[in-house]
Amino acid sequence: MMTAQGPDLEVTVLENREILPGVHSMVFRTHGNVYADSLPGQFLQVEVSPGPFPVTRRPLTIDGLHGDDCVRVVFESVGSGTSMLAFKPVGTSLRILGPLGRGYELRPGGWLLIGGGLGAAGLGFLASRIDCRSVLLGAATSSRLLPLPGLPVLTATEDGSRGTHGLVTDLLGSVEWTAIENVAVCGPVGMMDAVIRQIPERLLGMTQVSTEARMGCGYGVCEGCSLPAAAGGYLKCCTDGPVIPAADIDWERWRGGNT
Amino acid sequence: MTSDIRSWSLWGRKFTSPVMLASGTAGFGLELLERGSLAGTAIVVSKATTLEPREGNPPPRLVETRFGLLNSVGLANPGVDAVMENILPSAAMLPCPLIVNVAGKSEREFAAVVDRLEGSSIPFGYEINVSCPNVAAGGVAFGASPETVDRIARMVREVTDRPFSVKLTPNEGSLTESARAAEEGGANAVTVSNTYLGMRIDWRTGKPLLHRSVGGYSSPAILPMTVARVFTVSSCVDIPVLASGGATCPEDILELLAAGAAMVQVGTRVMRRPDAAAELLTGIKNFLEETLS
Ligand SMILES: Cc1cc2nc3c(=O)[nH]c(=O)nc-3n(C[C@H](O)[C@H](O)[C@H](O)COP(=O)(O)OP(=O)(O)OC[C@H]3O[C@@H](n4cnc5c(N)ncnc54)[C@H](O)[C@@H]3O)c2cc1C
Ligand SMILES: Cc1cc2nc3c(=O)[nH]c(=O)nc-3n(C[C@H](O)[C@H](O)[C@H](O)COP(=O)(O)O)c2cc1C
Ligand code: FES
Repeated sequence: MMTAQGPDLEVTVLENREILPGVHSMVFRTHGNVYADSLPGQFLQVEVSPGPFPVTRRPLTIDGLHGDDCVRVVFESVGSGTSMLAFKPVGTSLRILGPLGRGYELRPGGWLLIGGGLGAAGLGFLASRIDCRSVLLGAATSSRLLPLPGLPVLTATEDGSRGTHGLVTDLLGSVEWTAIENVAVCGPVGMMDAVIRQIPERLLGMTQVSTEARMGCGYGVCEGCSLPAAAGGYLKCCTDGPVIPAADIDWERWRGGNT
Repeated sequence: MTSDIRSWSLWGRKFTSPVMLASGTAGFGLELLERGSLAGTAIVVSKATTLEPREGNPPPRLVETRFGLLNSVGLANPGVDAVMENILPSAAMLPCPLIVNVAGKSEREFAAVVDRLEGSSIPFGYEINVSCPNVAAGGVAFGASPETVDRIARMVREVTDRPFSVKLTPNEGSLTESARAAEEGGANAVTVSNTYLGMRIDWRTGKPLLHRSVGGYSSPAILPMTVARVFTVSSCVDIPVLASGGATCPEDILELLAAGAAMVQVGTRVMRRPDAAAELLTGIKNFLEETLS
């Protein structure tokens, strides 16, 4: 794993597409190649308005790279900041800070990727860099499932509108475990916690999770983004993570404290 | 001729920028140093340092409001011994002076922390954060009582010859009386001021949005409150006033200087713009040039 703390760049919105209801895929042209070396799991901090509010940026996972000077994010409008971003027309300039944080450690061997809802953002990027044997995707309903073309995906929806009727954990039974040496999990805390409890024990030490916390700065100075650490105290999501070995997290406290 | 205007000073030292980085939003300056983001910074104020390590509050520690930010980080820090051993030696590489922000749970803790920090050659001075709650007084901020401020300042004065500022709270007590008490007690500056107590509740569930319910509110929206307090306090003490609260753009800095501040601290803005100090200084210079030409 490595942590990178990229520059604050003025970029241009090159593409803004609503790929699912309320979910946008946005490509930024960076006018340079600072994102060329970014790792799956790293994120960027988007300044959603040039005005004074909102006072902080919004963290979004790198969903992929286009050529050597473009970076893509996929996000859902859930509040003021993401809604402002969703309305940015092509050609708008704004600032992004990144790439930030620690990405996945890209180890050899077969990988199982597990995503919940928008947690699937970035899994395609990860799959392009590793030996991806299987992807499990879960969502409330089919319109919350991010497309991951070309990957061996099994899906589960809570309303049964696509794939297995149930939760992503219901798909664990169909995994060809012998081929798997690494696991990546990304999604809501409750879902990640449930997955961690159910995967074979030998893989626990090989499991990396992509975490989220409310962020202030995103580059390590404010201590706002705490995650309960297994060793006691807290990790910083933005610089110790967002990708963290599952065993380093105190799941009990994280599940309890997260509202 | 114009170059005279473009110099600011604190505690006998001249600076080419009036912008300080406020406590808690710049770490110890090391992340910003690594990014190459300290240009334009006159002084870095460290995050709070206490006697014992403090893990800080459980998450969520931050919640953004429509017009600002609430934080309840809870003075998370590794404790003064770890700061001395692991952090201050690296701080020798900073291109600007470092003021160490000091917090405590008891009146004696402030001087005890400063006493330990005296063992390092790094601190340019200290900022005594009396905005934190005094457990013995039922959680009221130390800064609310001028007598307490006076006692804390005297205890700190006894253990150090370095200059120190007392960072006051706008929430409780009289800022002017506490500022006078700090001066009487031997402080070399006052910082006006810390964040404003605030809270957000999810009305659907009735649950507070911060784990600790309440937090400190910072925002460009608090600027006029800071201007008013700096204006009042600077007319009733002879020591320098360091402004803190709401400074976001170059005009804000110039306004706080006009209100009587010796230097201006920038906090929340740095969380959004790591290069805030350089951006602000460029703007300030442009404004001064325009005004003077
Ligand atoms: C490292 C990281 C990577 C992320 N990647 C993505 C991504 O690729 N796609 C995506 O759609 N979202 C992602 N998120 C979540 C995204 O940052 C939040 O949805 C966004 O900040 C909300 O901003 P807002 O102003 O629209 O919402 P607000 O008005 O601030 O809040 C609306 C809702 O969003 C929740 N929220 C606010 N801030 C965060 C936060 N930092 N993390 C999680 N929930 C939050 C609140 O609890 C609230 O329910 C990521 C978060 C982190 C920390
Ligand atoms: C995340 C965060 C952490 C802070 N931590 C401290 C601290 O440890 N000690 C302190 O004296 N002030 C602390 N403050 C207060 C700031 O130093 C500053 O006084 C306040 O935020 C108002 O200024 P601003 O509007 O420029 O942010 C903190 C503020 C924020 C936003
Ligand atoms: S968001 Fe500021 S330290 Fe992580």
